[in-house]
Formats: sequence, C-alpha cells, structure tokens
Amino acid sequence: MSELSKDQFKIIGYKEENINKIERPTISYWQDAWRRLKKNPIAMMSIVVLGLLVVLIIVGPYIQNYDYITMNVAKKNQGPTGANWFGTDNLGRDLFARTWVGARASILIAILATGIKLLFGVAYGAAMAHFGGWVDELLMRIIEVINSIPSLLLTILIMMVLGNSFPALLVALSITSWCNTARQVRGMIKQLRESEYIYAAEVLGAGPLRIIFKHYIPNMIGILILDASTAIPSFIFTEAGLSFLGIGLKSPDISLGVLISLGQQSMDFYPYQLLFPCLILCVIVMAFNLLGDGLRDALDPKLRR
Amino acid sequence: MGKYLLRRVLEMVLTLFLIATATFFLLEAVPGDPLAERADKMAPEIRANLYAKYGLDKPMLERYVITMKGICMGDFGESFVYAGQTVQSLIKTRLPVSARLGLQQVILGVGVGLLLGILAAMKRGSVWDYLVIALSVLMISIPHLIFGLLLQRFFAGSLQWFPTIGWPEGSDLWLGGWEYTVLPTLTGCFTYIATYARLLKTSMLDVIGQDYVLTAESKGLSQGRIVRKHILRNSFIPIITQLPMSIAMCITGSFFIESIFSIPGIGQYYVLAVNNQDLSIIMGETVILAAMYIIVLFITDLLYVVVDPRITLTGESK
Amino acid sequence: MESEKRQIDTSVLRVEDLRVSYHTYAGEVQAVRGVSFHVDKGEALAIVGESGCGKSVTAKSVMGLIKPPQGEVKKGSAIYFQEENILNYNKQQWQQYKGGKCSIIFQDALAALNPTMRIGKQIMENLQIHKRMSKKQAAAEAVEMLRRVGIPEPEKRARQYPFELSGGMRQRVMIAIAFACDPPLLICDEPTTALDVTIQGQILDIIKDLQKEKNTSVVMITHDLGVVANIAQRIAVMYCGMIVETGLAEDIFYRPKHPYTWALIRSVPRLDLENKQELATIPGTPPDLLSPPKGCPFSTRCTFCMPVCLERMPEQTPFEEGHTAACWLHHPIAPETPVPVLKGGAAHEGM
Repeated sequence: MSELSKDQFKIIGYKEENINKIERPTISYWQDAWRRLKKNPIAMMSIVVLGLLVVLIIVGPYIQNYDYITMNVAKKNQGPTGANWFGTDNLGRDLFARTWVGARASILIAILATGIKLLFGVAYGAAMAHFGGWVDELLMRIIEVINSIPSLLLTILIMMVLGNSFPALLVALSITSWCNTARQVRGMIKQLRESEYIYAAEVLGAGPLRIIFKHYIPNMIGILILDASTAIPSFIFTEAGLSFLGIGLKSPDISLGVLISLGQQSMDFYPYQLLFPCLILCVIVMAFNLLGDGLRDALDPKLRR
Repeated sequence: MGKYLLRRVLEMVLTLFLIATATFFLLEAVPGDPLAERADKMAPEIRANLYAKYGLDKPMLERYVITMKGICMGDFGESFVYAGQTVQSLIKTRLPVSARLGLQQVILGVGVGLLLGILAAMKRGSVWDYLVIALSVLMISIPHLIFGLLLQRFFAGSLQWFPTIGWPEGSDLWLGGWEYTVLPTLTGCFTYIATYARLLKTSMLDVIGQDYVLTAESKGLSQGRIVRKHILRNSFIPIITQLPMSIAMCITGSFFIESIFSIPGIGQYYVLAVNNQDLSIIMGETVILAAMYIIVLFITDLLYVVVDPRITLTGESK
Repeated sequence: MESEKRQIDTSVLRVEDLRVSYHTYAGEVQAVRGVSFHVDKGEALAIVGESGCGKSVTAKSVMGLIKPPQGEVKKGSAIYFQEENILNYNKQQWQQYKGGKCSIIFQDALAALNPTMRIGKQIMENLQIHKRMSKKQAAAEAVEMLRRVGIPEPEKRARQYPFELSGGMRQRVMIAIAFACDPPLLICDEPTTALDVTIQGQILDIIKDLQKEKNTSVVMITHDLGVVANIAQRIAVMYCGMIVETGLAEDIFYRPKHPYTWALIRSVPRLDLENKQELATIPGTPPDLLSPPKGCPFSTRCTFCMPVCLERMPEQTPFEEGHTAACWLHHPIAPETPVPVLKGGAAHEGM
C-alpha cells in the first residue's frame, strides 16, 4: 500500500450535491412498458407480422389486379400458379385476392366489435361505479343474467334473430363480451377511488378533472389494452366459426370464415382452397395472441424492474 | 349455510326464468314462418290443425304462458321440423354423446396440461419451459375449428387411420368405438392443455415467489415435500375453481367439433335447429344448457370456499 | 481480512469476508461487500443499519437462502458454523442444517406462513423432519411449543389457519417454528418491525426467554435501536454492504467510534430534549450498490470526510474488548477528533 500523506487527512466534510446522488435514471411507467415490450423479441415480431398483414390486406387484392368477384370459369379449381398465387376456387375466382378481402372483413369486424365492447363496457362499468347503490345492484344483476348463458349460445341466438349481415354479426359479438369489460372497469374505478394515492392527490388539491386524466385513465388504459388484445383474436375466431357453421356471414359476403366453409366443401379434392384461408387465420390469431402476451408482460407493474 | 343455499337456489331459478323469457321473446322476433315448409303442401284444415298443435294460432302472450308452464314441468314440446320428436327425447339421446366427448377432452386435456404446467414452472427458463410455452401458444392460436378440419383431412382423409365422421352408438356408446372418438377428442383437448398448462405455470411461479416457500426452505424440508405440500397445494386453487367451468363448457357440446365430425351431440343439433329455424328445439336446448351452466357456476362458487380457507360463502375474503 | 488464528473457537457462527451480489437487469448489485463478524454461544448479536444496507441479504446467506443464478455468494466468502464452512455443504448437509441447526424468523409473519396449512402442521413439519418424531408426538410437541410462546388455548389454535390469528400471535407461531428443534443458532430478520410497539416488547421477551432456556445464539437484524438496546449483548453496525463498527452494546451506545454510529445514535428521538428542537437526521441517502464508491461508503454524507476517505477503504481499527471501527479518523496521522455536533439534537455525553 502506498504511503499516506498528511494533507490527505484534512477534514473537508460532505458536499450537498453529492449526498443524494441517484445512479439509476427514473423513467415513467409508459416508457418502462415500451422499453420492456421492445426487449421482447416475440412481441416485436408479432408487431412486424401484423404490420405486414395490414399492408397486405390493404394492398393485396390489387397486386395482381384480379378482383375478388370476377369469375373465370375456364380457370376454375386450379392450384397455386404464377398467375394466381393462391389458386382459384370452383368458380374461377382468384383466391389470393379473396383471401385478403376476407381477412380485411374478419379483422374489421373484430376491431369494430372490440371498439363497441370497450366503449359500452367502460360506460356501463363507470356508471356502476359512479352511482353505486341500487343502480349498481341492478346493473350487476343484468350482467349476471347475461353471464349465466354460454356466450356462444347467445351469439347464435342473436344472429338468428338479426340475420346474416355484417352489422348483425357486430352486434352479436359485442353483446356477449362487454360484460367482462364493464366488470373490470367497475372494479378498477372502485379500487382507485379508495386507493391512497388518489386520496393523496385530492388532499394535495388536485381537481376532479386532473384526477380523472392523470390517474384514472392511465390505469384503465392498461387493462383496456389487454382486454382488446385478447378480444380481437377471440372475435376473429368466433366469426370464422360462426360463418363456417352458416350462422355468421354467408356467401357472397366474404370473410375468412366463409372462405373456410367453402374450402371445406372441396377439402378432399382441392385442399389448398382450405389451406390458405386457414393459414392466414392462424397467423393473424397467433400474432394477436403473442402481442397480447407481450403487452401483458410489459404493462404488468409487478414485473417492473 | 342453509339460508345461503336457499338464497342461491332462488336466484338460480329466477335467472333461469329470465333467460327463458328472454329467449322466448327473442325467438318471437325471428322473421319467417317456422312451419312454412312443412305446411306447404297441406290442405287448409290439416294446416290449421298443424298450426294449432304448435300453438301458433294463439296470441303471443298466451303462448308465452303455455311455454313457461311447459318448461316448469319439463315439457318442451315437439320439434317444429321433425314431427314427433320431442325435445326431451332428443336431449336424452344426444346428451350422453356430448358428455362422453366432453369428458374425454377434459380428462386428457387437463391431465396433460397440468403435467406440462408443472414441468414448465419447475424448470423455468430451460428448454422445457420454452417448449411448453411454444406449444401453448400454438394450441391457443389455432382455432380448434381449423385444427379439427386439418386433422380430419390428414389423418382420416389421407392416411385413413381413423374414420372421418361418426360416433359409436348403442352398447358402444360409453366405452366402445374408440376409433371414432380419437380425432374429435384430440381436436378439443388442445385448448385445455394450453389453458391449464399456462394457468398452473403462472400460479406456481406466483406461489414460488411467496415468502412462505422461503420459510419452507428454511426448515430444511426436502424439495419434493416443499413442492407437494406447499407449492402445489396453493397453486391448485385457481385450477380447481376453473375446472367446473371447463367441464360445463365441454359438456354443453362443442358446436364446431360436432359439426365437423358429424357427431350426434347436442351441439350439432343446436346448429341444425338454428339453420332450420326449429324454434322449440332452440328454446328447449337453450334453457337446458343455460340451466346446466348456472348449476356449474354455483358449484364453482362452493368450491372456492372448500378449497381456499380464506374465503367465506358470503363472498368476502378474510 | 484474514481470520484470526484458530484458538479454541467458542463462536457458534463466524462469518468471514462474505461477499454477495445480485445480478439484475441493470447490472450487478453488490449487496454485501466483505462482511465479517462472529456470534458466541448463547449471546445475541444485533446487526443494525438502514434499509438497503445488506443486513437481510447477510441473514439469508447464513441461512443458505441465496438462490443462484440471480444471487451469488462470491468465492472467498466463508461462513463457519461450529467450525464447519457451510458454504461447502452438499444438499443433504444443508437440509440438516436448515431448521435443525439454524432457524430464521421473518418480518412479515402473514406472508411467511402457508395460508392453506394449519398452524400446528407447520410446526410439526419441522419436528418430524429434524427430530424424527411420529405424527402424534409431533402434534403434542407442537401444542407445547405454542403454549411456550404464550399463545392461549394452544390446542384450538393449532387447528387454525394463519389468517385467523392476529399479527402478534402469528409472529409467536414463527418463533415456535424456529425454536421447535432447539437450534443452536437463530436469525431474526426484523421480527418486530411490522408490529405495534406494545407487541414488540412481548415478542422480544419471548425470544429472550427461549434464548436463555435453550442457550441459543441469536443474530437480530433490525434498524430499530430500541430493539437493539433490549436484546443485544454485541452490536455490529452495517452500512452500504459493509460492517463499519462492531462491539459490546455498551461500547457502541456510549463510546461509538464511527461517524455513522454517532449519527445513528444521535438521530434517535429523545424525550428530554427541549420542545421544538429539530430532530437530528443524517442528510442524504446511501449510495447505489450498483456502483459503490471505492472509498469509505459513508464519505458522501460524513461531516468529517477527508480526501483519503474518498479514495481508500479504511481498515478496521481495534479498540478494547473486541470493539472495532473502520474509519480513517483513527489513523495515527488523522487530526484530533472534535466532539461531533450534528444538525439539531443535543451533543451526547461522555464522548
């Protein structure tokens, strides 16, 4: 050890600015969530895949200049070729274009239905939490009755009544699912109201608007995003199933479900007619599911490090 | 306890009543004449008789009361489309079919799922964990509709290992004719595998992070004992409460799987009825399925109390 | 620091140069950076320090609860229990050691008890494994332990679940579990922090009673000097992953030699101060253990900081009766230490 000199022992005391040095930068909740999401390779890949799908959905049918309804009986039931990438169906229609148009419809339905579900669910849940008392009880009972019937059953019933149209499907899908959103919103608002940091904010003089925007909404966005990310693939799935059974959309409307239903009929002879819509459906659902998983991990405050 | 049970039973009956009412009025709103096809070629008096038989000549409210009275006595009336077949008889023949399919799916799916979940939780971060995760994601993402179609096409159509459609009947109903049941069971069990594997894994990881596992380790207990007595016991709570729901969902018949494999279960029949606008069947099945569902929900609530000593019947947790 | 020559080692526990790090996403957190202390048979050593100074990690290391790969006990560390280095134990030896030779009591008794297992059974587990008792014997002994820690109606309580007991009773249950197999060493990780002051005293009394009865050595981890005064014969003061001062309780309270200890003692609120006199505090916060300072860890907050403090780690200076302190102020070249006066508070007598 080297020699110690006397002037190393002069008392200098501490400096004010040094005493509170913090090494780790603090980042906000959203920044942290985004950072975590970025680090998740699967989630990022899902985002890329979804982006690609969106592009294809918009642009796909125009790539080869076939539109999805022109029939060309001469070319019917052909496998994938240079001219028709996905082949043609039994009426000579280009399957590539049809698949993307179908995907467009499926995703559109899913997103719209999710939007309706979220809006309605939030309004309903907020009403329950805000009014409380008998209003809360009553609205809760309604939810419980709706929940007591298997959702698929209810959806089918409603489709029966409303027919096989696009709007009917929208209504049927969202009617059964907003209950969950409403419950979650109600629970969250109630919890937030009682929570101590809201109380602290009030004590510190924050007005109700500020509280709503800075505290309630950020907390709720988290669960709403998660809700949406599980709802969308579920809707796509249900729509496909219903259309397959003949209860959802019917030809000449197109959706992935319709295409699968048509494809099943020629499954034994022309399997590709079934294969491509199935594949696209799976990719979409999987991408949303993986993204949803990634979002759940990223937004979970308990995992925040 | 008795008071609670009574209250719940009353609530269930009320809910069922509301559902039946709502279904009735919903079906009233269906456009079209359900008997049109049958009555098409009939002479006017026979036609009038037909309509009278189904009560279609009476005003709506009267029909409502009749229907409700019938339900209370377990009589759901006859099918609109298939003369002579009552809803009750249909349910009787078809329910066991769906039940067997459902139970097979659940037993296989939940069993395998739980094992995989334990594997993934104990060997966290290893190859096994990622495999289980990948498998789960795959299974959840492929709609069982598609999976069923693909399995059918491939194993039954191409390879001819199994029959494409059909289901054992008669004496074979419960235990025989397994080759018919393989593909449908496989199709349906994958969702359960995925769900339960994930559920148990998350639950176990949650428990493993708790302080009492640390206490158990500090007592010098063997790893096996810690897993069995401390980790699993607490991890299974969400599993046990999820189970009745899974059973209910599967017994009520997977509409898609039964349609694909032409299995004569209640799910398939519901779809048929809807496509045929067979109103009485729809009414009957809806009420019965809803009733089963409600009962299962009730059982689930009871199970919560049994399984987790911290929860009381009145719904407060201690 | 090299171990002293191995004379007749009366110590039950001897920790030498313990280094423990945690590998986090942000980097390596050096939670414990070279800690050495010992506990003799039947005595109680208190490890005192602020939150985050590494006391809990030290406790967990002695219990063998540091889990790789996130946690790492670094090579060169040694923990001797009755002359054996437990860090070299194989699985079987660890199982015998944990619960049988060394027990731990945690801070939050509700979280530390299995919520779905009855109280009696949680005590019985210990007895069946370490003392090889039959179920019946263990059950009876468990009830006895509950009675011993002062729980009324022990038979009834043994059949209850943790959530049915109050906080104080749960902590007594933890004590019962810990003492069930008469371990020579007991570690208490802030057992009273979560309890009311009145219950605190009761819990400490139980621990002291059992300690005297079974001649157990106790390591009491706490940040509460009141608890320390109640139970400890010797005290080790910990800061930022290192022990800055060790000694007999009397020496630490009345003749502390480290500026951090001075500050700690001074910051205890006193009833005899004049009204409206400011409470003494230590300004600032402890440094981040991700990148600890290379010199004395307290240097950034020390009134007596010297240039050498910022550059080099001080060595432990020995005083009488095993009293040691690590501070450059006690180096021969250092200036005479004036009586320390900190912000607020009264100067302590007897310095």
